[in-house]
Amino acid sequence: MAQAVVSLKIFGVMLVFVAMFVESFAQLCLKVGASGGPAVFSPPYRAFAQKSGFLDSSISWKILGVTLYVLEVFLWTSVLHLLDVSVAFPMGSLCFVGVALLCRIFLGEAVGRVRWLGVLCIIAGTVFMAL
Amino acid sequence: MEPAVKIPRSVIIGIVLAIVLDTVIQISWKMAVEGVSAKCSLVDTALIAIRNPYFYLAMTAFVAQLFNWLRVLAEADLSFAQPFTALSYITVLGISTYSLHERITPTRLIGVALIFAGVYFISRTSHNTSTQPICTTGDGTSRG
Repeated sequence: MAQAVVSLKIFGVMLVFVAMFVESFAQLCLKVGASGGPAVFSPPYRAFAQKSGFLDSSISWKILGVTLYVLEVFLWTSVLHLLDVSVAFPMGSLCFVGVALLCRIFLGEAVGRVRWLGVLCIIAGTVFMAL
Repeated sequence: MEPAVKIPRSVIIGIVLAIVLDTVIQISWKMAVEGVSAKCSLVDTALIAIRNPYFYLAMTAFVAQLFNWLRVLAEADLSFAQPFTALSYITVLGISTYSLHERITPTRLIGVALIFAGVYFISRTSHNTSTQPICTTGDGTSRG
């Protein structure tokens, strides 16, 4: 019984990571959609997206973003069934890290030391708020 | 510290609106599923929620948020704008503390201060830095 509870918690933590991964990608897709399509991507990814007919229009990215977001809501609701809010809430702020990484890699946004410092402060803040 | 760049008013208004809408979504969502037992399955929770008017308030705010957010992202970096939404944690905490008459604990205050500090650091970075195709489409000139 106790073992089952522990494995459910581990599953819950894994689900948080999946949910944050999905949310970060949802945000990335919305950004690409809002910026008028794959032209906003860094060169290697831009060429790849522009080659594909479907990914070359901004509306595809908006639809993709919304779809991922809806998926994320379901994932997050499942997480809250498995984990305590005090654990899930600070872990949810991992999406700020995910977004910063994706923006840097795929969009070439300047995520420098100051921006990282901001993200770290926010994560630390959510941990304290949940204590 | 990077030099402070003037953030366009439309971006500021969009971000403030995003925080307000985020707060409305979270509070109304909470009220829509209030009283649903944690043991209820996902489907049961959804079925109970759709009979609650707060669910429709949450959905309306969600759609409004989508259009607002797309407008913000058209002008600002995602890695710049998104961290600001952490301020909605503070507004939600404030509202739930007030409505549930909870006491504000010192650890929560430290958390609030850290989030403010984090958002301050983000606000000191340039709001739009993404790479733009140069002389391929001709729309890279409006930047600056």
